Amino acid sequence: MMKKELKIKSNKTNQQKQKRTNPLANVFDDFIDFCQSKSLFMLHYCTGCGAIELPPAMTSRFDMERLGIQPMVTPRQADILLVTGYVSVKTLKRVILTYEQMQAPKYVIGICSCTVNGGMYWQSYATAKKLNEYMPVDVYIAGCMPRPEAVLEGLNRLKNNIKNDRKEQKGSAWKDYYKNYDYYLGNQQNLFGKEWQTPVDVIAEAKLYGLEGEGTYGENTKKLKMVQHPLLPQEMKL
Amino acid sequence: MRPENYQAVPLGDSNEYEIFIGPNHPGIEGNYALKLILDGDTVVKGTTDAGYLHRGFEKLMEGRLWIQNLAIVPRICVPDPAPMEVSYSLAVEEIMGIDAPIRAQWIRVLQLELSRIAAHLFTFGGHAATTGMYTPMYWGVADRDLVLDLFEDFTGGRVYSIYNIPGGVRRELPEGFLEKLSHLLDYLESRQNDYDNLLFTNQIFVQRAKGVGVLSKEDALEYGVTGPNLRACGLAFDVRRDDPYLIYDQLEFDIPTQQKGDAWSRILVRRDELFQSIHILRQVIAKLPSIKGPIRTAIPNPLSWNVPAGEAYARVESSKGELAYYVVSDGGDKPYRVHVRGPSSMHAVQTLEFLAKGARIEDVAQIMFSLDACPPEVDR
Amino acid sequence: MSLESLNEILNKINTIKITHKHKRRIRVDVKADSLTTLLELIKGQASFLHLSAITCVDWIEDNQFELVYHVWSYEENCLISAHTRIDRDDAKFVTVYDLYKPADFFERDIYEMYGVFFIGSPRMEKFILTEWFGMPPMRKDFDSEAYVQETFNWTEYNPDWLQELSDQGGGIAIKPEDIRLSGTLHNKATHREREKAKKEHVVGKGWKS
Repeated sequence: MMKKELKIKSNKTNQQKQKRTNPLANVFDDFIDFCQSKSLFMLHYCTGCGAIELPPAMTSRFDMERLGIQPMVTPRQADILLVTGYVSVKTLKRVILTYEQMQAPKYVIGICSCTVNGGMYWQSYATAKKLNEYMPVDVYIAGCMPRPEAVLEGLNRLKNNIKNDRKEQKGSAWKDYYKNYDYYLGNQQNLFGKEWQTPVDVIAEAKLYGLEGEGTYGENTKKLKMVQHPLLPQEMKL
Repeated sequence: MRPENYQAVPLGDSNEYEIFIGPNHPGIEGNYALKLILDGDTVVKGTTDAGYLHRGFEKLMEGRLWIQNLAIVPRICVPDPAPMEVSYSLAVEEIMGIDAPIRAQWIRVLQLELSRIAAHLFTFGGHAATTGMYTPMYWGVADRDLVLDLFEDFTGGRVYSIYNIPGGVRRELPEGFLEKLSHLLDYLESRQNDYDNLLFTNQIFVQRAKGVGVLSKEDALEYGVTGPNLRACGLAFDVRRDDPYLIYDQLEFDIPTQQKGDAWSRILVRRDELFQSIHILRQVIAKLPSIKGPIRTAIPNPLSWNVPAGEAYARVESSKGELAYYVVSDGGDKPYRVHVRGPSSMHAVQTLEFLAKGARIEDVAQIMFSLDACPPEVDR
Repeated sequence: MSLESLNEILNKINTIKITHKHKRRIRVDVKADSLTTLLELIKGQASFLHLSAITCVDWIEDNQFELVYHVWSYEENCLISAHTRIDRDDAKFVTVYDLYKPADFFERDIYEMYGVFFIGSPRMEKFILTEWFGMPPMRKDFDSEAYVQETFNWTEYNPDWLQELSDQGGGIAIKPEDIRLSGTLHNKATHREREKAKKEHVVGKGWKS
């Protein structure tokens, strides 16, 4: 594993933005954003210490539900992925698999200082340091560990970002994963080895969402094809 | 692997199949995984997969000063951090050949017992949730939060207090703290009936928990089980009484035991222990005002502090079982080696694998929670 | 059982060194080949049933690994720590799994973290470090910090308010010789900071002692 600093190429997509002619469309867009921000399902991946402050935040005392946020047990039905604390390399693989399984639009919140910069485990050989090298992060909640109030504040900020997404382009970090897949994949390959690949075909998804751009392809995504081996004929047995 | 690369697994003659539970699964405590081989819904073999929470603590501690390590030791077990600090401090004190002042020892006991109460309240909820009852979780977490408020009051930290240092504790108790504590204990005792009705005698829970994960006394001894899990098998062993540290030999408390060794016995032992802790805290409240004196023995400048060469094995009773720190010093300003013996490293690996064998798949989560396994203690 | 009879049992082993640290702690130093005999003896005759832990200590200067077996007796209320040393280059030892089942966990842990192979231990395979392919990380010659500096990037953190504070003469002043954030042997990050601090002499400008 060698240290490599990759750079994000560009944020432009190949698709041109369509002009809306219907005046009602904007109203509908706002309404959709409003609804989205008021009903969020949260998957908390208990990667570290920060998970201990989530039960108080979820249950009677601080009560996350009044913000319209509820815990969800499967990634496929969740909107928010909470990464609660340091991510060891072994966990990071699973976090990425979980993240890719989620349906867009999806949001990532990094709780605890460790997700920002390794925190107090900065010397540790086993933990990954910057979470946003491997997946786009919407909101960081720093602290060791952040109190439930801070967690709620972070979630509130995410809600506001989602609500004002179309105006300020704040709550759409998930689009970044498709636009700059090459960058994220490159970082993942640096850490896990060249043969790293996930079951989800991100490039095909990028095409589907119309989010493929310059940064979607690159030398790192080429490696994916090199590793893929052709489907072998199935052995039949009775 | 991508979908186009998937190869169908050829089926053998057996009916067994393999499933993974975790690491991100509501029925798993923390970030931990189990690989189960099933026949129907009976577990044939369970293998644990740890290391998701591995941070290399023992390596990190070798690279930090004696005093810096106090900041990272509580992070080894998140629900019950106080015994970690105390155990590390006791080990360093033993190498230094010093003792904490009497008042500091009483305050440490206060902190340890409060932490035990918080950890047990947390466990009740977790255990009940694996049987489909979510109300105890809401109650337990809410009541635990009252304890955390007290922690914040006297240590400054909600979860990680970092209150102990080798040679004593860092701060004096704030004014009026003991009254607040007394009120909290009254409140917790008044909740006893509610918890009994809701959980401990609730037939929905009892039927699920009775006879699940039965551990005989012999097996428990063989697998190195300690703490409440061992006491649920009928052996009244408690480090606080049998290998006393601090001032536990001056306190009166019972060691609750059960005979059956199943999940229900284990949670009953924890319930009784919680009330024993309240009993201990009442003695501390009565005694503490009469003990005057310093709360800290002087230690050298912590930034250039060389602990003399030596080694010590300090054991304490955490809410999960026997917790021990083995600390070796070579006379330098950093520990030469620190080994953490977490109680869960016994419970969550071999004992869990042993108990999972032959259990039904829906009981596996309950077995894990009833053992009160704390995965970061395994991974460190 | 009295202390004398326990001593008698321990003294059956040749070349044993017994140190009574205090009432409930006994340190025992034995040669590597008689360690299993010792454990068998104290388990069989003095009811030391509970293996509390096995620790490995890397004494790199002596080129040795020290293995420490902490064994507790529920009847005597006494902990024996049996110390033994093995060669570091040819790190192999015999398992005690047939005596104590918890040894499985500890031996596997030591195998991963130090590379000591335990002959006869049931699961000498990867457990915690399944995604790790370097040298056993707990060995003293593995430099965790250097590895981290080589592998990971850092988030830059230079917020405006911190800049403003130090422009106004605020901030925390640390003398260059006192900067020892972590202070490992080859500390690149702190080295970098030390160099930076030496240039500026003090970090905050307005600080006076």
